Amino acid sequence: MVTAGSNKWGMVVDVDRCTGCQGCVVACQSENNIPINLEEHFNQRRAIQWIRIERYWEGEYPNVKARFIPVMCQHCGNAPCEPVCPVYATYHNNEGMNVQVYNRCIGTRFCANGCPYHVRFFNFWEPEWPESLKNQLNPDVTVRSRGIMEKCSFCVQRIQRSTRESERDNEVLEDGDRGLNPACVNACATNALIFGNFNDPDSKVSQIKEDAMKEGGRGYRLMENMGTDTNVVYLKKVDQSVEVTHGH
Amino acid sequence: MVTDPGSRVVEPYVETDNSVEARKAVSDGFIGIHNVTSNRFWQFAALFGIMFVLGIVGFVMRLGAGFDDKGAWGYYIAVFAFLMTTSSAAPMVAIAPRIANSHWRRPISRAAEIWALAGCLNLLLYIPLIWLLPSLENGRRSLWFYGQQEGVPAYSPHIWATLAILGLILLGLALVWLSSLPDFAVLRDHGEGWRKKWAGRLALGWRGTSAQWNWQYHRMGVVGAFYFMMLVFVHFFISVEFLMVHVPGWIDSLYPITHAHNALQAGVATMMLTMFFLRQFGGYKEYIGLDQFWGLGKLLLALSLLWFWFWFSSFNVFWYGKKPSEQAVLELLVKGPYLYLFITIFILVFILPWFTMIWNPVRRSVWGPPILAISVLIGTLLDRVRLYVGAWDVAGKSSMMEDMMYMKMSEVPTKIPTPQIADIFVIVGFIGGSILVFMLATRLIPAVNIWEQKEMLLYKAEVQFHRTKVMVMGKSR
Amino acid sequence: MQEHEQLSHKQINEDLLKDVLTVPKWWLPAVAFLGLVVVTGLCAFFYMVYHGLGVTGLNRPVMWGFFIANFVFWIGISHAGIMISAILRLTQAEWRRPITRAAEVMTVFSLIAALHTPLMHVGRPWRVLYWIFPYDFSRGIWPNVRSPFVWDPSAVGTYLIASSLFVFICLIPDLAILRDRAKKPIVKKIYAQLALGFLGTPRQWKLQIIAGILLSALVLPVFVSVHSIVSWDFAVLIGVEGWHSTIFAPYFIIGAIHSGVSAVAMLMALSVWLYGLDKYIKPDHFDAIARLLIIVATTWFFFFFLEWVYALYTLDSPDIALRELQALQWPYGPLFAIFVITSFVIPVPLWLFKRVRRSAVLMFWTTILVNIGMWLERFLIVIPGLVRRTHMTFDWGTYHPSIIEILIVVETFAFVCLGMLLFAKVLPLIPLFDIKEGMVNRRLIKVGRRVVPATIREGLPHHYYEKKH
Repeated sequence: MVTAGSNKWGMVVDVDRCTGCQGCVVACQSENNIPINLEEHFNQRRAIQWIRIERYWEGEYPNVKARFIPVMCQHCGNAPCEPVCPVYATYHNNEGMNVQVYNRCIGTRFCANGCPYHVRFFNFWEPEWPESLKNQLNPDVTVRSRGIMEKCSFCVQRIQRSTRESERDNEVLEDGDRGLNPACVNACATNALIFGNFNDPDSKVSQIKEDAMKEGGRGYRLMENMGTDTNVVYLKKVDQSVEVTHGH
Repeated sequence: MVTDPGSRVVEPYVETDNSVEARKAVSDGFIGIHNVTSNRFWQFAALFGIMFVLGIVGFVMRLGAGFDDKGAWGYYIAVFAFLMTTSSAAPMVAIAPRIANSHWRRPISRAAEIWALAGCLNLLLYIPLIWLLPSLENGRRSLWFYGQQEGVPAYSPHIWATLAILGLILLGLALVWLSSLPDFAVLRDHGEGWRKKWAGRLALGWRGTSAQWNWQYHRMGVVGAFYFMMLVFVHFFISVEFLMVHVPGWIDSLYPITHAHNALQAGVATMMLTMFFLRQFGGYKEYIGLDQFWGLGKLLLALSLLWFWFWFSSFNVFWYGKKPSEQAVLELLVKGPYLYLFITIFILVFILPWFTMIWNPVRRSVWGPPILAISVLIGTLLDRVRLYVGAWDVAGKSSMMEDMMYMKMSEVPTKIPTPQIADIFVIVGFIGGSILVFMLATRLIPAVNIWEQKEMLLYKAEVQFHRTKVMVMGKSR
Repeated sequence: MQEHEQLSHKQINEDLLKDVLTVPKWWLPAVAFLGLVVVTGLCAFFYMVYHGLGVTGLNRPVMWGFFIANFVFWIGISHAGIMISAILRLTQAEWRRPITRAAEVMTVFSLIAALHTPLMHVGRPWRVLYWIFPYDFSRGIWPNVRSPFVWDPSAVGTYLIASSLFVFICLIPDLAILRDRAKKPIVKKIYAQLALGFLGTPRQWKLQIIAGILLSALVLPVFVSVHSIVSWDFAVLIGVEGWHSTIFAPYFIIGAIHSGVSAVAMLMALSVWLYGLDKYIKPDHFDAIARLLIIVATTWFFFFFLEWVYALYTLDSPDIALRELQALQWPYGPLFAIFVITSFVIPVPLWLFKRVRRSAVLMFWTTILVNIGMWLERFLIVIPGLVRRTHMTFDWGTYHPSIIEILIVVETFAFVCLGMLLFAKVLPLIPLFDIKEGMVNRRLIKVGRRVVPATIREGLPHHYYEKKH
């Protein structure tokens, strides 16, 4: 059950299930009014993808395997990006999320340098959409002008709307409700992404986390040695055929 | 009409009092003081002698415990480091102002250099540490960072540490000898008894020719510069190999500088105290004046502020970094068991000296600087205890090797190891021992520089300037 | 100071005010050229504001580029003014006298040059006041005091105010002379206003001296804090391996002094050549500043060595990869080699020779080399630090500055030169009163066959005169 205020939102990413289909990326793109990434943006390395699929190759030809890790903002409990923002454009809200206030941002890009996960994106250009796509923009999400930072918000607009509406209608908002879930989670065909409330011990994410973070479990966090205390838990790939190698 | 003072373009020479009589008066005064060994001297010497014997007893007790338990040696290493930061750093108070050509250094420089002789004791203290220095086996991180690789012998820390400390001691001895040469010659010619004999041997036929003075001057400059570099290197070395390597995750690139800076600060404090005792009990009251305390006071003021800055620079980066490995180090050294010790050190080494010395009457007094010097020295000793005992306590824990691999302490000690009777003996004894070495050395070598004092006669004059008398000082360079 | 010309006050006034009261031939073309460069840079800036930061070469992961490297460089240069003026004033080093004013003025102009880069490099420069102004009335939110970016403008602002005051206090006696000598009534009036009614009474002198000493003592902690804070802009970030190092604050300071004092030596050579001030700036002055530079450069090199040792000591693969990128890979490898060679390997051994130290030409070129090296040092900290290959392969990339960035960086150099030239046109670049004071205080002592310069020590307490020792 989800009630406003007492939540700690988080995500579980099962790397074993991820097929690298990029469905989540597209869903995120359309939900959050992210400007269209053209070829030139990729060439300039200024493309914006709040969630991205990192692809790694393992093994020698012909036994090559592609590995995928979806990476979005980890919503660190101890975020390196937060204390360095001079204007409080990024701060920690009481639901465990790292949120970005676009209007405050002046674009020093200090946070982008501080983020070890490289999930903060800067709007180098004024975003543009073709006339035909303008009516498709999500009215719940601000269109960011150039010169400011943006990043994954766990679709905060969806969380806000569903919790508000369920309170208004005196309805119980179930764990894993599709109105609550971020767009990427809803779009994931293999259920590799699971969203929920870590404060609720019965939620799916809490249970998976409890199980996975045990000794010998599959759970890990990205760059744990940074001590960022992230709200995204990853589950290791189950693969017997390739020996685990350290380093890169 | 007022005459324009700037219309003066001819430059007359200022008369200095550099007559034979004046120079002889200086020499005679010093030799007179130097030849007298008071009863009080022997009383003090006996006291420090007893302390030194206690130290040896403590050391033997420590040896009995063996080299396996690293945690037990923390206090021993702390006192070794303390002596490295005081007696070995004191000669810098002679070297640096001499390079800067400050006149106030003249009565200080010899006593500062004699402290280098006490460094011989540090060398003895270092010998058992060779067995405690960790080798590069088992993937332990070290300054010789590719220790795991072939071609780097596992015992390279031992070689380098020994060479560095030995080099520092030798340079110190060379410095004392070079600087004392002209004074030995004076003692040879005008002294009496066994001093005359020994001074004659050590003076090596010094006649005071221009060539000899030139030679002495340049050698002293070179040896001084090398002493400074070697001092920095030794502090770099002991701060890494005796300290940081034992605490997994303590990667603090500023720390060697902080360690060397602590040494400069403690060295200045040592000299303040030494000057005070030489003035009050050594008979040099006429020669050691406010100037010396004032000059040292300004140095200590600046160095105390720098202490804060160095500490804060490290602390700030660790504090913001918030990496678990860094937090564990802060937990060990600042926030955890050593918190109260740290606060005491902070007050003794920074707050007290800085906020009192900033007031000119305190700096320019005979009593103020020595009192603050005691505060700084106690603070430095406690600081060495905090760091070395803390680090060696961690080194004594068994889970070391795995921690080293991940560069993070898995378990931070929760209390300070209590000093045992042997540790207290060692601390008291070796500090007393180095003071004893210093005191005995002043019996042979004049504790205040005779030739530099005579040189001063060449450069100082009092002249009339309009309606007032002013001091004129020359600078040879 | 062996070589020294004892000059009358009249002669000093004539020499040093010559270029203020008349116009040298090269002055107008030089100012016109520099002005053109500055205007071009400003045009580039407005173009950038209009089109957004897309016109720069910045990208992911290189979010800070040329501008920030340049910012750190100019902050570094600005440290020389206070280094020379305050420290040498407090230690009563005689050789400071002809150098102080130029160094202080350079501080002020290079601080302004430093300030415009970070302000223009933010995404929305028109909102910059939210950041640097202590309170934002319209939104009711205080700036985030935990951010080093909030300490930055306050420290740099304090430094700018303090050093401008310092320049002004030291200018007052000279302004009074200019007031008395200016021909045109309007010019006379302006100088009179600025001179604050200075007549040279003992009380006025006393106040002026006390203010100078106080400001030198107070500005020193500010000087240290400014570059420490600039270094913490980098060092507090754990996301960038090469920056998260505790040594950064002292390393930046000592690097700043290295490049700044070198810049002062450059200025000295330039004022000898451009303004013919060889009566005041002698080979001995170059000698003294070169000795200082040897110590500073060696200390700086030790800090540089420590930074590297500790980066490798971690044995972390990203750290080592970064160091390989910085020192061995194209294009940073050659730049790294140039940096080490120009900032240390060539100049320091050269300065060990007396002949080099005493030659204005050689000092000029060696210190130019130092500053090329030190600019590259900042470049090599900022850019490869960000270009490094992290665990996140998505963000692997490089960085090429765009023409806009280059124009703006060039503009900062032209701006400082232009500022200095304009300053020298209206105010003397060598403090008249300080020189005169030095000449009045100067005495000579004969030691054997050698004549040694001596000075009257000022401000000595009474005990000096009570007994002889």
